[in-house]
Amino acid sequence: MARVLVVDDAAFMRKVVSDALASGGHEVVGEAGNGVEAVKQFQALAPELTTLDITMPEKDGLEALAEIIALDPRARVLMCSALGQESKVIESIQKGAKDFVVKPFQPAQLLEAVGKALAA
Amino acid sequence: MTQQEITPREALIRLGASTGEAIAKVLEMFVPGTVERGEVTVLADGVSPFANVARGSIATSVSYVDGVTGANVFVMTPAGARALAAAMGAAAEEVAEGADPSPLSELELSALSEAANQTMAAAAAAIGVVLGQGIEISTPDTRVLGDPAGAADIYGTAPHATSTTFMIAGESCRLIQLVPRAFVVRMVRAIDEESAERTDSTVGTGSAARAARSAVDSSPHSLALEEALGGISLRVWAELGRTRMPLGSALGLPVGAVVDLDRTADAPVDLYVNGMRFARGQLLVTDDGEWAVSLDGLDSQGLSMLDLARSAQAQPRELVEPAPEVVEPAAESSDIESEDRIEDRDPTSTAEPETPEVTQSEVEGAVK
Repeated sequence: MARVLVVDDAAFMRKVVSDALASGGHEVVGEAGNGVEAVKQFQALAPELTTLDITMPEKDGLEALAEIIALDPRARVLMCSALGQESKVIESIQKGAKDFVVKPFQPAQLLEAVGKALAA
Repeated sequence: MTQQEITPREALIRLGASTGEAIAKVLEMFVPGTVERGEVTVLADGVSPFANVARGSIATSVSYVDGVTGANVFVMTPAGARALAAAMGAAAEEVAEGADPSPLSELELSALSEAANQTMAAAAAAIGVVLGQGIEISTPDTRVLGDPAGAADIYGTAPHATSTTFMIAGESCRLIQLVPRAFVVRMVRAIDEESAERTDSTVGTGSAARAARSAVDSSPHSLALEEALGGISLRVWAELGRTRMPLGSALGLPVGAVVDLDRTADAPVDLYVNGMRFARGQLLVTDDGEWAVSLDGLDSQGLSMLDLARSAQAQPRELVEPAPEVVEPAAESSDIESEDRIEDRDPTSTAEPETPEVTQSEVEGAVK
């Protein structure tokens, strides 16, 4: 079971992701609502996994991903994308994200992606 | 159909239909069996798009921020908004029987914003297919319209506007699109170009034809996979070998100089896709006198890409990258081949080959 940082600008999605992670036995150690806060939380909390939304204010998920990977090249980041953002998913994988999940998703789909990202 | 047949009004209807269909598909995932898309109406000049919006309606908006401009405002009745939020998992606070319903909670409003984010991302992808380019969207804004007459102060105005109706869980909703003139011009041009590409075949093969087919495709995931991914061009090249030399030596190379590379003539070459080594293979010359690569095996990264593709076929949440086309060196043609002269503007080509060196040799577009 992993310590997870959940990043999404929608409080609703943070709750959805956090509830799903908790149901899988993971511990949500922090939440962030934009990319700037995500990088700060990553540095402060050193999570084993970060779930990262793509479209966010101030600093989007791709920019935050790049900074997180620069801080820790072995960081495990799981991208949460929407339908139609596949080119950004490809870019995020190229930048070092371990896996991704497309919204809307079922808790089991998220947990499967989390497992793959942690195993990567 | 010949060029110039489409009118701005038809382009606007096409825009509304493509956007509405993409939105309906995503909404259907939240509230299965309760979503119906109605007609697209092009509003006449001078008619406020918010003229018939009831006070207290819930409006969630997303703008295009890159590629094109324009605003999309999804207007819901409070009951419709509450039903959608509840279907997504944001349950309303309980109120005493007979009491007035409470205003939507922060969590409900956040769920509606997330719905707008997800629906408009899909819609932007659909429109991007028609226009032949990627379109970025803003983060959503959700609010209660206390005074719809003042909506222009919030969302601005545009020369064109469309209204597309929806029914969600029995509640009437509508998508209002504020469309700049330049957007319409580009839509007209894109659709005309698509029409010109068509032959006497009844099924087109271009981007707009793909978008049109998507409107009747029952699988919401195919929208993302076929349209969004299928249109992505990838930079593909084969690498013969490498060497290193001081910059001064490289600059002093005379015409006719022979530079030794680090591989023998019969050694396999590396095949790269978007900066990622994908496979190794043998360099061949086709009967037409063109270079080709016969693949011996996939690199671990190439296998990972194929795993993604296979997973996507088994589970629609995953991603299909059009990598399999790369491993078919004997194919008659491919998107990759046709794109090999415009790859420098490929927005996904962010990665560079590992450790570029002075005399790295590339045979771009050699894969058929």
